[in-house]
Amino acid sequence: MAPALEDELRQVVGSSHVLSRPEELLVYEADGLTHHSATPRAVVLPADKTEVVQIVKRCRAHGVPFVPRGAGTGLSGGALALDGGVVIECARMNRILRIDPEDRIAVVQPGVVNADLSKRVAPHGLFYAPDPSSQQACTLGGNVAENSGGPHTLKYGTTTNHVLALELVLPDGKLVQLGSATGMTVGYDLVGAVVGSEGTLGVVTEATMRLSPIPERVETLLGIFGEVVSACRAVGRMIRSGLVPAALEIVDRRTIEAVEASVYAAGLPTDAGAVLIVEVDGPAPAVARQVERVREHCVAEGADQVQVARDEAERQRFWRARKGAFGAMGRLAPDLYVHDAVVPRRKLPEILESICEIGDRHGLRLSNVFHAGDGNLHPNISFDRRDADEMARVLAAGEEILRTCVEAGGVISGEHGIGTEKRDFMGLLYSEADLEAMKKLRAAFDPTLVCNPGKLFPTTRFCVEANPKARGYDQVPLG
Amino acid sequence: MSAAADVGSLAEGLRRELGAPAVEEIELDLEGARLGLRIAPGPGEALGAALRLLGEAATPALVRGGGTRSAFGHPVPRARVLLETRALLPPTVVDDEDGIAYLPAGAALCDLREHVRKVSEGRWEIPLDPPGDSSTLGGCLAAAAAGPLHAAPRDAVLGLDVTLASGEPTRCGGRVVKNVAGYDLAKLYVGSLGTLGVIEGAWLRLQPAPEAREVWWAPVDDPRQALAAARAASTRVAAWLSREVAAELGAELGENRAGPALLVELAGDAPAVEAEARAWAGRAGAQRLEQGDPMAWLRARQGRPRGLRVRVASLASALAEVARILEEHGAQVLAYPARGELHADVDFSPGVSGDATVERILRGARLAARAGQGDFVVEDAPLAIREVREMFGDPEPRLALFRALKAQYDPRGILNPGRQAGRV
Repeated sequence: MAPALEDELRQVVGSSHVLSRPEELLVYEADGLTHHSATPRAVVLPADKTEVVQIVKRCRAHGVPFVPRGAGTGLSGGALALDGGVVIECARMNRILRIDPEDRIAVVQPGVVNADLSKRVAPHGLFYAPDPSSQQACTLGGNVAENSGGPHTLKYGTTTNHVLALELVLPDGKLVQLGSATGMTVGYDLVGAVVGSEGTLGVVTEATMRLSPIPERVETLLGIFGEVVSACRAVGRMIRSGLVPAALEIVDRRTIEAVEASVYAAGLPTDAGAVLIVEVDGPAPAVARQVERVREHCVAEGADQVQVARDEAERQRFWRARKGAFGAMGRLAPDLYVHDAVVPRRKLPEILESICEIGDRHGLRLSNVFHAGDGNLHPNISFDRRDADEMARVLAAGEEILRTCVEAGGVISGEHGIGTEKRDFMGLLYSEADLEAMKKLRAAFDPTLVCNPGKLFPTTRFCVEANPKARGYDQVPLG
Repeated sequence: MSAAADVGSLAEGLRRELGAPAVEEIELDLEGARLGLRIAPGPGEALGAALRLLGEAATPALVRGGGTRSAFGHPVPRARVLLETRALLPPTVVDDEDGIAYLPAGAALCDLREHVRKVSEGRWEIPLDPPGDSSTLGGCLAAAAAGPLHAAPRDAVLGLDVTLASGEPTRCGGRVVKNVAGYDLAKLYVGSLGTLGVIEGAWLRLQPAPEAREVWWAPVDDPRQALAAARAASTRVAAWLSREVAAELGAELGENRAGPALLVELAGDAPAVEAEARAWAGRAGAQRLEQGDPMAWLRARQGRPRGLRVRVASLASALAEVARILEEHGAQVLAYPARGELHADVDFSPGVSGDATVERILRGARLAARAGQGDFVVEDAPLAIREVREMFGDPEPRLALFRALKAQYDPRGILNPGRQAGRV
């Protein structure tokens, strides 16, 4: 980094909050997608919005791109600082500024950890609904950037359904308020546009979140199936019948084996083809009825057993199989590639068979644990990236999986985002005109492409970001 | 020069591209514009060609669906062409196994509702209920028009086909129920009042039709109390009616209703509805309404021109104060407390009612929005008022972004120019 900028950033946040030594930058080389990496020029940790404004202005003045970063739990390379950019790490902006139980809102800084918000508002009978698997670590700022989901998305929606207002530092350093605490939109829905924009439209410095009442009753069921496709068919039956559980999650045999061999062991039968975890919640009379409907659907599709959690401990045990899956897979290989794609729910049985066939054909250890109710698949490939041949097979299989999902009417990401991981696959899904329409949004917020460049848009077929002058963009040199 | 002559050469090109029946020369004053042409392009290439020709001629269009929300937003005086969306009828898909549907923008929602009901044998419904029977799907989405049952059209949309001002057909989102592949442009188009592109069709997430449904009425003094009562049950709709609105509904039902009231719809699984109905039955003065369709009445009332109507958003804690302010400023109030949404009506007749009435309701709306830490929009006002007043609260802080968006998506200003907040 040019010394002048480094000095200026130290003046803004203090010397101890600017990291620039190689060993300090190492942990910022990658997010949860470990086989994509880029070393930032510097990492700067602002304490508040005024510091963010100053950082953005100074980066811009020096023609240096910047990227906001939460906890780095993302799985698409979205928080990488490409081309020697500066990482704006939001960890110090971790205060819950306001909790208003009657209005059911909370105002938070971007560095607040997702699960902490639910813990803080629980005494008021409230919770924050989006619950990504990384919720013990991921931050709400990161959730806003990625429009994060989680197991309970089926009923409660993703982050975009729970963000009422945002305070945003635009790429030119101006601070704007978008939306209002009431959720009313006046003019264009800019909050809706910013949520899920992967940190490319500005740096969120405050967010007003909608809180939900803790349901009166929650019941969790575990359906044990001989075949994963039967579990998928049970999901299809429930959806078709109009049942909307809070969560509908499938864990396949290979994942069960990994979980049961790990510290997350939940006592699941390792000879089962799959387990289906179903959670229903709401008013007690409705929940009692839904439990029976779920049981009927599972039995109709050949479930060997359907258990209803008898108490909270058993409920947690059921969920351990789901939530511990990624940790358990750490035992299988040094690296784990967690894929993310969505297909129409009716296509789940056939797509799942195709995905397993792709994994087998490439000689890979592929397992599935996924949000079946949303059709959101997470094929997980355990591998060793030091093995170049295996790495190549992992990438080839990943591309085949994405193509298969798109051909089935699906999309290439349900909750992880595009980042660097899938930017070159956007052409599978969108035409050049579709992508140009997205670039118009980008250009309205960030005409100089200084905010998290190199993400989301293809670099191969549609090279606008690589060659911006062709479209009249005023590009900041990216080194 | 007549309005038609003004667009004469454009008409020739449009006839060549769209066919003569889709192009009609007119002399029509509408929304402050002198319109010389009415076009009704079909979907796909026809719509694209029409927009390309309008762009080449730098001739703005007033884009219009069913016309039920035409008094929402600023006038479009520069428009010379009326672009009707009624022929935007791409094929419909209802996937009742997945609970989703692709529906055409030009179709009336009442027809689409019936179509979905038939195809799915009553299992699914469209989660949109904008005021006005002739509302089209495209108009409802462009205006983000909410009715009593469903608050947020944005949440129903999975994907959109939108033809941009350049004539380029584009798609955003898709048919799946979860999707973060790229920017969520559907959020931007919904509520854009047709200023960024023309919606051709939409993938919607359907909603399971409730197994049971009951409507109850209970006397409740203010919307904050109404909210507390509604939160105690899992109602689908809770509407608080001020004294005058309650009396109107009473007259509709042939009953004498005095005083403000809460109207709730219990909907969902039968056992839950039964349990909640028992709880309501124990509430002082509560009564089940078994005649008529009060929710349809509410929807119709919201769609009926009153002269002046504002929508104010408020935090729950300020609902009572906001309603009081609006009533003090002469408005009849209908509130959806769980949404923090209040509709304030004033009977207003241009030429009869004076400027003081306008001043009073706008002042009330500003004060109410401030008290509720929210915002307000004018949803219905005579043309003369919309020509000179800002209809969208205070858009100033976001105006630069609004203008930048308009410049990107519609650089020649051919799609409803000036209609959006800040006359964008």
